[in-house]
Amino acid sequence: MPVPSQVSKRRGKRLVSRRALPYLLSLPALLVCIGILVPFVTAIYYSLQRYRLSQPWAREMNWGDNYVRFMSDSKFWNTLVVSLEYAFLTVGFELILGLGIALLLQKRTKLNNAVSIMLLMPLMTAPALAALMWKLMTNPGFGILNYFLTLIGIDDFRWGASPSSALFTVVLVDIWVYTPFIMILLLAGLRSLPTQPFEAAALDGVPRMQQFFRITLPMLTPYILTAALFRLLESIQQFDIIYAMTQGGPGDTLTVFQVEAYLNYFQSTNVGRSSALLLILWAITFFISNIFIKNWLRLRERARGEG
Amino acid sequence: MTTLELRAVTKRYKKDTVVDDVSLTVADGETLVLFGPSGAGKTVLLRLIAGVVEPEEGQILIDDEDMFDVDAEHRGVGMAFQNFALFPHMSAFDNIASPLTVGKRSVDEIKAGVDRVAKLLKIDHVLHHAPRELSNGQKQRTSLARALAGSPPLLLLDDPLRNVDAKLRFEMRLELPQLLAGQGATVIYVTQDYKEAMALGQRIAVLAEGRIAQIGTPEQIYLSPKTIDIARLFGDPVINCYDVVGQRDDTGVFVELSKQRLSLDDSKANCVDKNSVLGIRPESIKFVPENTPGSIPITIEAETPLNEKVVTLALTEGGREMLISRPSGTVAPTTGNAFVKIDQRALLIFDQTTGENFVDSSEIDVDRGVAA
Amino acid sequence: MEHQSKLETVLRGIALLLVVVFFMFPIFWIFLMSLQTNETILRVPPSINFEPTLSNYRALITGKLETSAASLEINFLQNLWNSVFLSVASVSLALLLGVPAAYAFARHKFKGSEDIAFTLLSFRFAPPLLVLLPLSLYFQKMGLADTYLGLIWVYQLICLPLILWIVRGYFEDISPDIEYAYRVAGHSWFSTFRKIALPLAGPGIAAAGLLAFIFAWNNFIFALVLASADKQPVTVGALAFITASGIQYGQIAAAIVMSIAPTLALALYAQKYLVEGLSLGAVKG
Repeated sequence: MPVPSQVSKRRGKRLVSRRALPYLLSLPALLVCIGILVPFVTAIYYSLQRYRLSQPWAREMNWGDNYVRFMSDSKFWNTLVVSLEYAFLTVGFELILGLGIALLLQKRTKLNNAVSIMLLMPLMTAPALAALMWKLMTNPGFGILNYFLTLIGIDDFRWGASPSSALFTVVLVDIWVYTPFIMILLLAGLRSLPTQPFEAAALDGVPRMQQFFRITLPMLTPYILTAALFRLLESIQQFDIIYAMTQGGPGDTLTVFQVEAYLNYFQSTNVGRSSALLLILWAITFFISNIFIKNWLRLRERARGEG
Repeated sequence: MTTLELRAVTKRYKKDTVVDDVSLTVADGETLVLFGPSGAGKTVLLRLIAGVVEPEEGQILIDDEDMFDVDAEHRGVGMAFQNFALFPHMSAFDNIASPLTVGKRSVDEIKAGVDRVAKLLKIDHVLHHAPRELSNGQKQRTSLARALAGSPPLLLLDDPLRNVDAKLRFEMRLELPQLLAGQGATVIYVTQDYKEAMALGQRIAVLAEGRIAQIGTPEQIYLSPKTIDIARLFGDPVINCYDVVGQRDDTGVFVELSKQRLSLDDSKANCVDKNSVLGIRPESIKFVPENTPGSIPITIEAETPLNEKVVTLALTEGGREMLISRPSGTVAPTTGNAFVKIDQRALLIFDQTTGENFVDSSEIDVDRGVAA
Repeated sequence: MEHQSKLETVLRGIALLLVVVFFMFPIFWIFLMSLQTNETILRVPPSINFEPTLSNYRALITGKLETSAASLEINFLQNLWNSVFLSVASVSLALLLGVPAAYAFARHKFKGSEDIAFTLLSFRFAPPLLVLLPLSLYFQKMGLADTYLGLIWVYQLICLPLILWIVRGYFEDISPDIEYAYRVAGHSWFSTFRKIALPLAGPGIAAAGLLAFIFAWNNFIFALVLASADKQPVTVGALAFITASGIQYGQIAAAIVMSIAPTLALALYAQKYLVEGLSLGAVKG
C-alpha cells in the first residue's frame, strides 16, 4: 500500500500569528470606525463652543451654555415636540397599518405574495424622491389628490404649505414609505409562528378575536417591538422626507432635530447650537438603540437557531 | 511512521473545561479509540490534534515535534467528520481531491489519487455527483475517502458511522479495520458505540467530562472497568448492578445475592464491610437446571431477541431486575420460573460512594508508555 | 383551514384593494405624468386619456429643456451617473472592508470583536448629521470636500454595518467543520476563506451588496451636505432640478421615474433576501 512519502512534512511555520489574524481581517473596518469616531468627538467639542462660521473671531468655549440656553429656548422645545410628535405618529400608524396588512396577507397564496412584493416598492423608493412624488400629487395647480378632495367637497386643502396640515402631509408620506417595512417584518414573524397553539385553540372553539389577543399578539410581540423600535430610531431622525417636502416649513412647523440642526448650520452658520441639538438627538437615539439592540439580538439568535 | 503525544492538554470554552488535562501517547501504526458519551470532549480533542482549535494549556506532539507553531494544514493529518462536512459546492471528486490539490500535482496524479481511494471505498461510480445527490452511505464513504486521499500518516476519524443507518454501520464496522490497516497510518477513532470501540481499537481511551477515565485494551476495559460508569458504558445489554455489602469468612471474600453466596477472589478484598455495587454482565449468567447447587431462582418477565443474541428480563426472589444474555439459537426457558448460575470469575465490584472498582485498575492496565 | 364567510371574503378583498391602491397609486400616477406634456398634466379634471410621449425622457437624456420662455441646459444624466458610480464604488469598498471583518467576527470570537461589531452597528442608528457636519469641515481642510472619494468614504456609514451584520450571519451559518475539513486537507486559512467560505456565503454577500446598493442609492443627506452640483446623486439632483426647471412637471416626473427605477428593479430581483437584510438578519424571510 502506498504510504506517506511526505515524512518530513510540516513545511511552513505560520507567517501570521493565529491570534493576530482576526484583528488583521477587521482592521480596515476598524479604521473606518475610527475615521467616523473622530468627527463624533469633534461634534461634542463644537457643542461646547460659541461657534458661528460667519463670525470665526467670536469663537470660544462656552462649555454647557448651548445646552443651558435650550431650557428657555422656545424653538428648541418646538423642535423636541415636533420630533416626538412625528416619531410617535408615524410609528403608531405604521404599526397598526403594518400589522393589519400583515394579517391580511398571512396566508401564503399567490395573490398575497404578489401584493407583499408590490408593497416593497414604496419602501425601496428613496424617501426624498417619495416626498417629491407626493409634492407633485399635492400640487395646488394640478395635484391629483387635490382633485380627489374637491370631489368630496374639500376645496383648497393646502397640504404641506399650510401649518395646520404640514405635519399630516409629511406623516402621510412617511406612512407610505415605511408601513411596508413593518408589514414585511411582521409578516415574516407571523409566518414563522408555530401552528400548534392555533390548531389547539381552533379545536377548543376559541373565538378568532380572542385567538388574536391571547395567542397571536403575545407571540408576535418580539417582532412588533423590534420593528417599532427600529422605526422609532429612524423616525425621530427623519430628515429626507421633511426637508424635500417643506424644508422644515412653513415657518418652523416641521423643524425636527436634524432639519433644525441643518438649517442652524447652513443658514445661520451656528455650529455650536447645531452640534448641541444633534448631541441631544444622539442621546435619545442611543437610549432607544440600546433597548432595540437587545431585542434585535434575541430575535437574531432565534432566526439563526432556526436557520 | 507517526506517533502522537498529548501532554496535559486543556481546552476551555468560556467557563467550561471541555478537555481537562488529557495526556496520552499513541504508538506508530496504532489505532486508538476515543470512547465516551456525547459531550465528553472527544470531538474537541480531535480538533485540537488536527490544529483547527487551539488548547489553552498543554502540548501536542506529532512525531515528537511540538505542534504549537504548526498550522492545521501543515500537520499532515487526515480527518473525517461526524456530519461528513462535505463541501456542498464541489463534486464528490473535488471533495476527495481536496487534499491532493495542495502543492504541484499534475491532473493525472490527482485523478489517480482519487481513483485509488474511490475504488477502495467503492464509490468510483458517483464521483461526478454533488454531495446533495449522494445517499447517506455514499456521503459517509466520500468523507472517508477524502480523509484517506492524501495518505496522511495520522488519521482522525470523528464518529464516521454515527450518521449512517444500522445496516451500513454494520457493514462498515467489518470493512473499516482492514481498510485502516491497509493505510498503515496511526489512527485516532472517536465513537460512542462500545462495539465499534471494541472492534476497532487496539487501545481504548474512555473519556468522561473532558478527562480520560480509563485507557487500555478493549479486554482490559471490558473485564476490569475502572468505575461503575465505565462498566455501564461497555456492554449491551447493560451490566446488572446490585447494592451489596462485602463480607468475609473463613473461606474467603463473598457477597450475597438472593441468599446465594457469590465468592470473590482476594484481589477484591477491599469491599469487605463496605457498601458496594456488584456488577454482573448479562452474558456471564447462565440458565441451569432446577436445584443446581449455587443457582439462583428467577421469574422470567420478558424476552427480546437482539441481533445475534437473546436478552431475558427476569426478577430475582428479592424482586430485583436481572438481564440475562445468551447467544441466539441456544435453548433456554422463556417463561415462568427458572434457575440461573453466575460465573463468579466475571464479577465486578465497585465502591458504592465513589463508583470506583475495588480492584486498583493500575494493576490491570498494561501501561503502554502512558503517563499514569 | 378555517371557514370564511362570504362577507369576510368580500371585506378582505376590499381591504386588499385599498392597500394596493394606496401604495401603488403614487408610483402609477407619477409614471403616467412622466409620459405627458404639461398641457395634459394641467388639465382639469385630470384624465388618463392622453397621447403618451417620451419627450420628457428625451429632454432629460439630451439635457435640453425647452420651456415656453427659454431653453435650459440641465445635466440630469450626470446625477444619474453620480448615483451609479457612488453606489457601486461605495458598495464595492464596503464589501472589500466588510466581508473579511464579517468573517473574522463570525469565526473568531476574539477580544473586543463584539464591541467593534456593535460600534459599527451603532453608526446605523446615530444621527448622520452629527458626523457629517464636523466631517464637512475636516473634508475642506483635507481637500476631500466635494470629491467622490470623500463621499464614498462617508457612504461606508450606511453600507458597512449592513454588510458586516448580514454577511456575518451567513458565515455563521456555514458549519465550521466544513472549513476545518478544508484546512486539514492542507489548505491555508486564506484559500479556505476563498474556496469555501466565500462561495458558500455567496448568495448572502450578493444580497447584502444589493441592499447596500439600494440604501446608498436612496441616500439623500450625505450628498446634500458634502457634494456640489456636479457630484450630486439623483436624490439631491432631483430636488435641485425642481427649483431649476420650474414648472416642467412632466420632466420632473420622468426624472423621478428614472431615479427610482433602478432600486425598484433591484428590490424585485432580490426580494427573497430583503426581509433578512432589512432586519439586519434578525428575521428570516
